Amino acid sequence: MSSIIEIKNVSKEFKVLNRREGLKGSLMDLFSRDYKIVKAVDDISMTIEPGEIVGYLGPNGAGKSTTIKMMTGVLEPSSGEILVNGKIPYKNRTENAQQIGVVFGQRSQLWWALPLIESFKILKDIYMIPDSDYNNMLEFYKSLVDIDDLLHKPVRQMSLGQRTLSDILAAFLHNPAIVFLDEPTIGLDVSMKAKIRTLIKGLNKEKKTTVILTTHDMGDVDALCERIVIIDHGKMLYDNDIEHLKGFFGSYRTLKVRVDDDLKVESEIIQGEFEDLQVTSDDEWISILVDEDKIGVIDVFGTLQKTHKISDMQIEEISTEDVIKKIYEGGVK
Amino acid sequence: MKKKGIGFYLRIYGKILAQDLKSKMSYRADFIISTIGMIFTNISGFVSFWILFKNFSSINGWSYYEMLFLYGFSLVSITPVQCLFDNNWSLRIYVYSGDFIKYCFRPINLFFYFQSEVFDIKGLGQLAFGIGTIVYSWSRIGLAVTPLAIIKLVVFLITASLIMIALQNAAAATCFWIQNSFYVLDLAFKFKDYARYPITIFSPVFRFIFTFVIPIAFIAYYPSLVILRPDAVPILSWLSPVIGVMFFYISYKIWMYGAMKYSGTGS
Amino acid sequence: MSIKKYLTLTRAGIIEALQFRLSFLVMIIGNLLYLIVIYFLWKAIYASAGTDVVGGMTFSDTLIYLVLATALYNFMEMYTVWEIGRNIQSGKIVLDLLKPMEYRRYLFWSYSGSFVTQFFLTFLPTFIAVSILTHGAISFGVNLPLFVVSVIMAISINYSIDFIVGTICLYTESIWGINIMKQVIVLLLSGATIPIAFFPEPLKSAMFYLPFQSIYNAPLTVLLHGGSDIESALRLMGMQLVWVVIMNVISIVFWKASLRQITVNGG
Repeated sequence: MSSIIEIKNVSKEFKVLNRREGLKGSLMDLFSRDYKIVKAVDDISMTIEPGEIVGYLGPNGAGKSTTIKMMTGVLEPSSGEILVNGKIPYKNRTENAQQIGVVFGQRSQLWWALPLIESFKILKDIYMIPDSDYNNMLEFYKSLVDIDDLLHKPVRQMSLGQRTLSDILAAFLHNPAIVFLDEPTIGLDVSMKAKIRTLIKGLNKEKKTTVILTTHDMGDVDALCERIVIIDHGKMLYDNDIEHLKGFFGSYRTLKVRVDDDLKVESEIIQGEFEDLQVTSDDEWISILVDEDKIGVIDVFGTLQKTHKISDMQIEEISTEDVIKKIYEGGVK
Repeated sequence: MKKKGIGFYLRIYGKILAQDLKSKMSYRADFIISTIGMIFTNISGFVSFWILFKNFSSINGWSYYEMLFLYGFSLVSITPVQCLFDNNWSLRIYVYSGDFIKYCFRPINLFFYFQSEVFDIKGLGQLAFGIGTIVYSWSRIGLAVTPLAIIKLVVFLITASLIMIALQNAAAATCFWIQNSFYVLDLAFKFKDYARYPITIFSPVFRFIFTFVIPIAFIAYYPSLVILRPDAVPILSWLSPVIGVMFFYISYKIWMYGAMKYSGTGS
Repeated sequence: MSIKKYLTLTRAGIIEALQFRLSFLVMIIGNLLYLIVIYFLWKAIYASAGTDVVGGMTFSDTLIYLVLATALYNFMEMYTVWEIGRNIQSGKIVLDLLKPMEYRRYLFWSYSGSFVTQFFLTFLPTFIAVSILTHGAISFGVNLPLFVVSVIMAISINYSIDFIVGTICLYTESIWGINIMKQVIVLLLSGATIPIAFFPEPLKSAMFYLPFQSIYNAPLTVLLHGGSDIESALRLMGMQLVWVVIMNVISIVFWKASLRQITVNGG
């Protein structure tokens, strides 16, 4: 089977204005300007097979959006080659648009003032979707999520979660071969996140849609992606299965403890005590990432117990989030 | 893939327009106030006109009613830009915020898709004013009403409107290159006021500029001559439809080139 | 009260304005074009009139008046209504209200930076050009300091009117409609487009009792005739002072009363 997306040695450069500071600087900018070249994407290669869900990860400003813009035909690569469904997206923008769906950066592409169903009808015409396909898709949507309330609501009156859901539905409406989702769950509550993940998974399974997903939420990655690609500073750091990645960190365990005091304060204290380990906290747990080749989890726990009042503890395999954090920090070759 | 022709685009536009009008009706207060504002603008234009002719009986050999005809002609020929291309005013905001990217993902013409989003219904009030002015001045001047004259009027009005659309497209497109292109757009918008005067009041240099460089003389003056001075129509008047189409095409190319070049440089 | 926090806003405004170097160029070109158009228009008007003096004004009187009115307009127009309207729609107004500064003052001083840049970049060059080109049609004497005072009062009246109209946006949600009405009324009735001297009689005296003529007509009359006729200049300025007080009081009271509207709506 041939790949649906092929990216070969792609780079993208931007010219950025260096602004000077202060009133004097602004006056100087008025007469002479200073530009610098920024490499947003630096020699990236990958191939994606039909039906895959690929998590495309990286810190803010890593070059994720730029890559996606190149795959959607909005940006032309400075060098290298991109083929989407065998075509060069930049040269066939409208043709390419027919076979992809995009949900981009929380910018709703729907008609702001119109009820969702009217937006759908316009999209039906724009993408020239046959009546039967359109109706089947709507029926399929109804089987996945409850959309009856949404359909007759103007987009501007929707909550952020409903809007995102609507945008995702709109992106899949013409049954595209590939859908690009840029941070689809950002800012949403837990139940809405779960709803959206179910929806994406269901659409991928039933329609065999290839999904490229960028996110900062490891819950999305764990729920949806089998394969992840990680970039930072425009360079590709990793491209493989999640399981494979976790294999690298086989000796790592996450020790989770609960204390009665303020978790944030406590976690900072613990970080002070174990300078080599990575300590994080959320609403419930303090997580300590331990490399068992160097120090045993039980040893760490023993030390902790002497100085802290621990009410609960867990030992877990390394989480995806921790793995990725490690990679950002340069922990994998 | 099927070819997307004019029929396809007209159908889509019709659909979006119908929906848009429906939703606009839900903001009735805004609609009414905006319409009143539009009427104010037109009344104030007339008042200025009237005050001017209270003091002076003719300008450069043009009588009050002939000038009024020019004025009415310019009002009608700027209606399409007001109604159909009003989203140009928001372009710089979409570009600045990066939201412009959302227009790039549809399998239809980008320019069409962007402009189709807004239909400014206020312009219709202006159209009514303009038509009223043309009819009134036409009857006062005592020009004959023949089917041919009416056809000429309509054709020349439509092609004249392309000039103003072209100027506005080009002005709006500057936002792809410079920040805060509001001033450029505002400048182009003011051209419509200058188009009301006969080009003959200017010196030869500016006559040339307003004919060939910034072609505002084609918004009202040259096409009006076909109706007002049928015995001595200069060749440029007959050329005005061609020039209208040409400038529109150039402006469209500039707009698209800018949109492609910009292509979401912001992240 | 320390003036420093206000001057910080002025400085920030200047820096922001300087980011857009091309808009200056466009603005200057736009003004030049406008001046060219009014020069030729009025030249043609006076040529057709057959007399040198119309409505008590010669061609050069009219031209100087209109040129300086334009310069003054560019310098005084602050787009306050837009700003307030946008802030209301986006909800940003709630944040602005939290700033440790009264909103009315905060907005004014935020814009004061553009006053400074506009003054040096448009008004001053125009003024110098006019006074050189007309070989001393503007006298340099007591009228200059009077003019400065008169402009400051005009700014205050103009800002108050803008702020009142902006406050209306709290109730109407129609920014465009409200703003265009204000702009049209102010420009026509202040004598910015056609000198008040040309207005027919009953209208002329009616305008004298409205606040608008204090914005453009008063400072320009003080500048052009204040040297020779100090008494009527002072009378005009007394009138301005009355309007400064009235409009400021209205805008402050109206704003205070309307703030409840925000609290009720929750922004």
